[in-house]
Amino acid sequence: MPNATFHSVATSVAGWSRRMFLTASATSLAVPLFARTSRAEAMDPQTARAKDPRDPANLALTVNGRKHQLALDARTTLLDALRERLGLTGAKKGCDHGQCGACTVLIDGRRVLSCLTLALVAEGRAVTTIEGLAKPDGTLHPMQQAFIDQDAFQCGYCTPGQILSAVSCVEEGHAANDAEIREYMSGNLCRCAAYPNIVAAIKQTKHSMREG
Amino acid sequence: MAADAAPEPKANMGQPVPRLDARLKVTGEARYAADFPVGNPAYAFLVTSAIAKGRIIRLDTESARAVPGVLDILTQDNTAELKEVKFGSGGASTSIQKLGPEIAHDGQIIAMVVADTFEAAREAAYKVKATYAEDKPSATFGDEGLKEEDATKVSERHKHVPKVGDADAALASADVLVDAEYGTPTQHHNPIELFATTCVWNGGQLTIYEPTQFVYGLKNSLAKKMDVAPENVRAISPYVGGAFGSKGQFTPRTGLVALAAKKLNRPVKLVVTRDQGFTTATYRAETRHHIRLGARRDGKITGYSHEGWEITSRPDAYVVAGVEDSARIYGFGAVQTKVNAVHADRNTPGFMRSPPVVPYIYALESAMDELAARLAIDPVELRRINDTMHDPITGKPYSSRSLMRCYDEAAKAFDWSRRNPEPRSMRDGDWFIGLGCATAVYPTHVGPAAARVRMLANGEVQVQIAAHEIGNGAYTVIGQMAAERLGVPLSSVKVELGDSSLPPAPVAGGSNTTASACSAVLKACDAIRVRLARSVATTDRGRAAGFAADNGQEMRADLFRRLGVGAIEEYAEFIPRGGKPDAVKQLYAGQVAMTGGPNGEKLMYAFGAEFVEVRINALTREIRVPRIVGAFAAGRLMNTRTARSQYMGGMIWGISSALHEATEIDKARARYVNDNLADYLVPVNADIDRVEVILVPEEDHEVNPAGVKGIGELANVGTAAAVANAVYHAIGIRIRELPIRIEKLLDA
Ligand code: FES
Ligand code: FES
Repeated sequence: MPNATFHSVATSVAGWSRRMFLTASATSLAVPLFARTSRAEAMDPQTARAKDPRDPANLALTVNGRKHQLALDARTTLLDALRERLGLTGAKKGCDHGQCGACTVLIDGRRVLSCLTLALVAEGRAVTTIEGLAKPDGTLHPMQQAFIDQDAFQCGYCTPGQILSAVSCVEEGHAANDAEIREYMSGNLCRCAAYPNIVAAIKQTKHSMREG
Repeated sequence: MAADAAPEPKANMGQPVPRLDARLKVTGEARYAADFPVGNPAYAFLVTSAIAKGRIIRLDTESARAVPGVLDILTQDNTAELKEVKFGSGGASTSIQKLGPEIAHDGQIIAMVVADTFEAAREAAYKVKATYAEDKPSATFGDEGLKEEDATKVSERHKHVPKVGDADAALASADVLVDAEYGTPTQHHNPIELFATTCVWNGGQLTIYEPTQFVYGLKNSLAKKMDVAPENVRAISPYVGGAFGSKGQFTPRTGLVALAAKKLNRPVKLVVTRDQGFTTATYRAETRHHIRLGARRDGKITGYSHEGWEITSRPDAYVVAGVEDSARIYGFGAVQTKVNAVHADRNTPGFMRSPPVVPYIYALESAMDELAARLAIDPVELRRINDTMHDPITGKPYSSRSLMRCYDEAAKAFDWSRRNPEPRSMRDGDWFIGLGCATAVYPTHVGPAAARVRMLANGEVQVQIAAHEIGNGAYTVIGQMAAERLGVPLSSVKVELGDSSLPPAPVAGGSNTTASACSAVLKACDAIRVRLARSVATTDRGRAAGFAADNGQEMRADLFRRLGVGAIEEYAEFIPRGGKPDAVKQLYAGQVAMTGGPNGEKLMYAFGAEFVEVRINALTREIRVPRIVGAFAAGRLMNTRTARSQYMGGMIWGISSALHEATEIDKARARYVNDNLADYLVPVNADIDRVEVILVPEEDHEVNPAGVKGIGELANVGTAAAVANAVYHAIGIRIRELPIRIEKLLDA
C-alpha cells in the first residue's frame, strides 16, 4: 500500500516532486528521508537503516509565511499536518486519495494535493492555504470575492480547494476560455455542482488578477 | 455583481443577496464537523468486513494492539453496553448495529481502533485480521435467494399505495398502449465531506461534532445508544459539507466513537474513509419498474399501472414507493400501483436526494415519451392534454400547480419548435443531435419547528433555530425572513443554526427547511412586532405594527423607548396545518412528523419542466449534454440567487443520474466495486456545459405561512428521463436502464 500511495504522488504532483518520487516509489517508504541529505538523524548510524518511520521526525513547515516547528510521524500527510497539528482546517479531506481536490494547497505557488504530499516533502517550501489567501487586513483575494459574487458554492466544502486551484488555473495561463477553464478545473470535484458558477468566477477574476 | 448568478426577482421572489456564510466559506473559516479543535484527541479508524454474509469465527487483534500508540480496539467483545436504536426515519439508518459475529453486508463495521495518532490507528486497523465462515450472498436483482414482499405489508412508512378505477380494463381497451420495464442503479450520495464524528465527554456531558441533517435526531439517538438522558448530549453541526440525504439518520459508527471517548476519558475523532462510507451509511437502492400506460388516439391517458421493485437489506424494509407521487401528476383515469421490497445481503438503503421521485418519475416520464412517440403527439402537448388541477386518485385539488407554464417558458427559451420529431433526423457533422424533455415534480413538505428571535433597540436581530446549513442557503433565507419581518437590513441579522442547544427544527430532508424554519421565525418575529405595537395607544397600533415599512428605524427606537426595554425576545413554536398538537414536543425528542405532498386537504407539489439537448458522436457514441434548460415554479422564492444555484446543482445531478452515476456490485460476493471518487463517476467541471434556470413566479398561501415550497429536490427529478428521451431522439435507441453509457449505444 505505501508504494501505491507514493506512485500516485509521482503522477499527480508535477515538476519538482515527480523525479524524486519516481525514485521513491521504486524503493521503499523511507527513501524520501534519505533524499533529504540534511536529515542525517533519519538514519540509525548503527545499522545505516531508516529509523522506525513512526518515530517523530522534526521538521519546519512554512505556511502562509509563518514558520512552524513540528515533530511528526513520518507518514503524516501535509493535509493532516495542517489540519490536525497546525489547526489550519481550511484544507479539507474529501478522499485522502488524490481523487477530489478538496485538499488543494499551493506549494511554491503551484497547486498540489496535500493528501498525497507528505509533510516532510513540504519542508523548506512555501505552503499557502486558503487561510493565507486574503490580505492580512482581511481584504479578500479577487478570486474569493468572485466566488461570492458568482455564488460558486453551496455547501462550501470543496470551496477552499476550488479557489486555490482557480488561482493556479489563472496563473498557469489555463483560463483562456470556458472550455479550457473547465478542463483545468476538473481535478476539483463539486458534488453540489456549482461548476458553471465556478467557471464564471474564474472569468470574472482573470483580468483583475493579471492587472494586480 | 454577476447577472447570471443573481437573477432579477420576479413576483413573489426575494432579493438575490449573497449568502450570509459566504465569507466564512471562501476564507476557510466555516467550521465543519471535523474542523472543530478539541483538546488532545485520540484518532479512530474503522475495520470493516470483507464478506457480505456469514460469521466472524476469529478476530485477531494482537498485532494491531502491538502497534505503538494504539490505545484501544472496540470489537463485539467490549461494546455490549451500546443499546439498539430503532431503525427508521428520525432514528437509525439500519438495524445492523452490532460488530458481529453475524455479518449481514459487505463493509459492516467489525472493529474500531483508537490510537494517539491517525497514522497509528490506520496502521493498526490494517493489522486486525478477521477469519470468516462465508455464506453465498444475494447481491441484487436476478440473484438467487432474494426475498420479495409487498411493501405495504412491511414498510414503516408506506401502508397503502394509490389505486382508482379498473386499470386493467382501461389498459385492455386503450387505443395505444405502452408496456415497458425500466431500471435504475445503486447510487451513493458521495458528499465531498466525509462522514466524521468527534465525541467529547465532560463529566456526564457528551458533546458530539458530526455533520448531520438533524441535530435533534442525532442528540436523541445518541442518548439512547449510550443510555444517558438526552439533556446530557449536545450535537453541534453548524456547516455540513454536502449531505443529500446521507447525513439524516443515526449510523452505527457514532455510538462507537462516543463509547471509545468515554472509556479513554479523552476526545476521540473519527473520519471515515471514502470507501468505508459506501457501506457504513446509506445509498439509493437499485429499482425496477413495470409500467403500462394506455391512451386514446387523441392523447388522453385512460389507464396507468406502475409496479416497482426496490432492493433493501435483509432486516429493514426500506422503500421509497414513489408511486405515491407519480400517480398524482397527470389526469390518468384509472390507476393501479404496487411496490415490492426485495431483500438482499446489502447494507440498508436510505434517503438520497428526492428519494421517491427520482426513480419512479424517471420511469414514468420515459414511458410518457414513448407514448408521445407512439401517438405521434408532441411530448409537451401530451403533458398539456393530461394536465390536471386535481388528484386523479382522490379528486382533491392542487393548492397550486404551474406545470404547463413551466413547459411553455422552458420550451420557448430552449427553442423546442426547431425539433424535428423524427428520431435520428437532426445531425451536425459527426454528431447526432437529440432534444428531449420531461416533468420535474416534488412534494411540498413542512414540519413543526421552533425559533427564538431577539431584537435590540438598535435594530440588531439574533435568530436561533437548530435548522441545518447543508448548502441550501439556510443561514441566508432564514436571515432574510427575519430582516423582512422586522424591517432591518440583513446585515443587522445574526443567525445561529445547527446546534441542539437551540430550539429545534426538523430534519433537513424532504426540502422542508425553508418552509418549516421560516414559518417558525416568521411567527417569532410577528410576536415581537405585536409586543412593540402594544406599547402605543390603540389608535396608533396599526401604524406601529407596520413599522417594518418606511421610517422603520425611528419608529422602532421610539417603541422600544416607550416599552422601556433594551431588547425583546420571543420564542415561537410552529405546527403546520394538519400537524399533531404535540408535534414540537415530539421534535424535541427527535421525532418529526411532516405533512404535505399528497396527505393534506389539498395536494401540495412543486413542478418544473426540463429540456435537454444531447449530442452523440456517430463514430464513438460519446454522449455530451451541451445544453439544459429548466423552468421551475415552487411558490415563494426567498432568494433568487440561492434558488438558482440549487436548481442548477439539481439539474447537474439529473445529468449525472442519466449518464454517469452507478455503484457497481460484484454479484458473486455482494461487494461494491467502485467505492471511490475516481471510479464512482460524478460530473467534473468539463462534463457540464450550459445550464439555464428559469424561475417561474407562483403564489401559494395554503402550503405554509411562508408560502414556500421546497426547491432542493425538485430539479434533479425527471432530468434523467429528459436525457434518455433526448438520446432516443438523437439516435433512435430507447435505453430503459440507467446510466446511459457508450456501450449501450454501440448497436445503433
Ligand atoms: S482529499 Fe486530497 S484529493 Fe481528495
Ligand atoms: S460546494 Fe458543496 S461540494 Fe462544492
